[in-house]
Amino acid sequence: MELLNTSNITMKFGGLTAVKELNLEINKGEIVALIGPNGAGKTTAFNMITGVYAPTSGRIFLGESDITGAKPHLITKKGLARTFQNIRLFKELSVLDNVFIANHLHLKSNIFEAVLHLPRYKKEKKSILEKSLFLLEKLDLLSFKEDKAKNLPYGMQRRLEIARALATNPQILLLDEPAAGMNPRETDNLTSFIKDIRDEFELTIFLIEHHMSVVMGISDRIYVLDHGVTIAVGNPYEIQNDQRVIEAYLGVSEDA
Amino acid sequence: MKKRDIILTIISISVLILFLMFANSRFDSYQIRILNLCAIYTILGLSMNLINGFTGLFSLGHAGFMAIGAYVTALLTMPAAVKNQNFFLQPIVPWLENVTVPFLPALLIGGIMAAILAFIIGAPVLRLRGDYLAIATLGFSEIIRIVFTNTQNITNGALGLKSIPNTTNLWWSFGLAALTIIFMLSLINSSYGKALKAIREDEIAAESMGIGLFRHKMLAFVIGAFFAGVGGGLLGNLLGAINPVMFRFILTFNVLLIIVLGGMGSITGTVISAFVVTSGLEYLRVLDESINLGFVRLPGIPGLRMVVFSSLLMIVVIFFRNGLMGTNEFSWDGLFALLRKRPSFLKREVGR
Repeated sequence: MELLNTSNITMKFGGLTAVKELNLEINKGEIVALIGPNGAGKTTAFNMITGVYAPTSGRIFLGESDITGAKPHLITKKGLARTFQNIRLFKELSVLDNVFIANHLHLKSNIFEAVLHLPRYKKEKKSILEKSLFLLEKLDLLSFKEDKAKNLPYGMQRRLEIARALATNPQILLLDEPAAGMNPRETDNLTSFIKDIRDEFELTIFLIEHHMSVVMGISDRIYVLDHGVTIAVGNPYEIQNDQRVIEAYLGVSEDA
Repeated sequence: MKKRDIILTIISISVLILFLMFANSRFDSYQIRILNLCAIYTILGLSMNLINGFTGLFSLGHAGFMAIGAYVTALLTMPAAVKNQNFFLQPIVPWLENVTVPFLPALLIGGIMAAILAFIIGAPVLRLRGDYLAIATLGFSEIIRIVFTNTQNITNGALGLKSIPNTTNLWWSFGLAALTIIFMLSLINSSYGKALKAIREDEIAAESMGIGLFRHKMLAFVIGAFFAGVGGGLLGNLLGAINPVMFRFILTFNVLLIIVLGGMGSITGTVISAFVVTSGLEYLRVLDESINLGFVRLPGIPGLRMVVFSSLLMIVVIFFRNGLMGTNEFSWDGLFALLRKRPSFLKREVGR
């Protein structure tokens, strides 16, 4: 079943076409990667899907609903969560609060119920707290729950970002370079970790990544962008042997 | 809460009430007035801290909201005879002349009017960020003041209002300050309060975690304006006379001073700082007068105390950017930890 679908989305910044006619089809339960050299337009594509930019043209569908140009918080509410290339945690807040806040979008109590601690809010707060602690435990962050997010080691900050994204109850999770800045051992762990959370939370995962070991190890399918244009789509084996992809990454020999 | 903490809290509240009773009967009116001002500035500081400290919006429109609260409360509590005495240039509009309501509803209406105006102002300005928001809110606050100066038959224009009933007393000011503290604590620790703090920490991340930026900023702005209006109402009925000049930028600056010194994002810091700054501003009036040191006579320079406070603000901003409390809050555990740590040299002395 198709979960995320973009049809011919294009993003122009003045005269520069950052992404040109990108067509993504991501099915439920898949792990799909978006790769390409630096400046290929990967993050721009992410920003269009998550609502940071409204595409210049084209449409984006999440399940049945058209989310083209919708505000980021409404897209998140519809079940699409993301992490950031350069970690964006709520640095001065505790690890637990970081996850707690990501539950706020599903809160039904209004502000008066919350301030006056009325029964509905109390009940909701209790279940949010339980869920947050459960997520922290799943991601091995429970012992740090009172620490400020900025004091966590780098790898754990990445994990906390994922925990926070999971707390919004997403159907699809967008990971922007989850392995950036990780050492080889952490990268190996990440591969199995992403598969684990996909199975555990019944997710669909769409990620941007530069570490080819991660991409080839977990992706069901791969999209390759170069200068905003989709140059290849296929499974890891097909991509590894695609002449245009090799050229995009390694350059073309002068006398070829 | 632990049992010990509950007992300690009850004891401190009782001590505070006893102190207020003592102050009410023994202090002279000047001292009582300073105490009232301290409590009112606590309300004003907390309301501004919600907007600036907890939500991270750089708003400078506080004086405008206070002006609305002060005028609405004053006009609603003044008897018709007093109103007619005040409005000798142009008579007051008839629909306001005979309206007189008790103090509490008048305060609430003042707060609600300020909140409504914040809602109207917020719709355009809360789309701005940082310095732009500061300039826009500052502009709106000035606009309110100018409007009040020119609506002769509603606000009595530049003449201001005099003989406002002096309803504000220690019970009103401290009671409402306490309610404000409880409200803010409860709000800040709720899911909504955490969402506001998330916006302060990182707008982009907060938005992609599903927090509607505009709605939540508006929430903080409107609630902040409501309490600013209530504080303004208390202030007007404490001083007994208000005029548009009172609500210039300097008033916003005083409240800003309180929250920066106390710590942006700390309720405890704001409360302590409100008391220190307000009483400081009064008791340092000595500096404005000439000082006789016996051998030399220093001439009085009006406004010297503001120089002292401005320097203090500069020192805080340069060396102690987080203010007195940073984003920390008071807790009995914290206090005991501090007491155990601090007088360690005293303990050693005793042991020797």
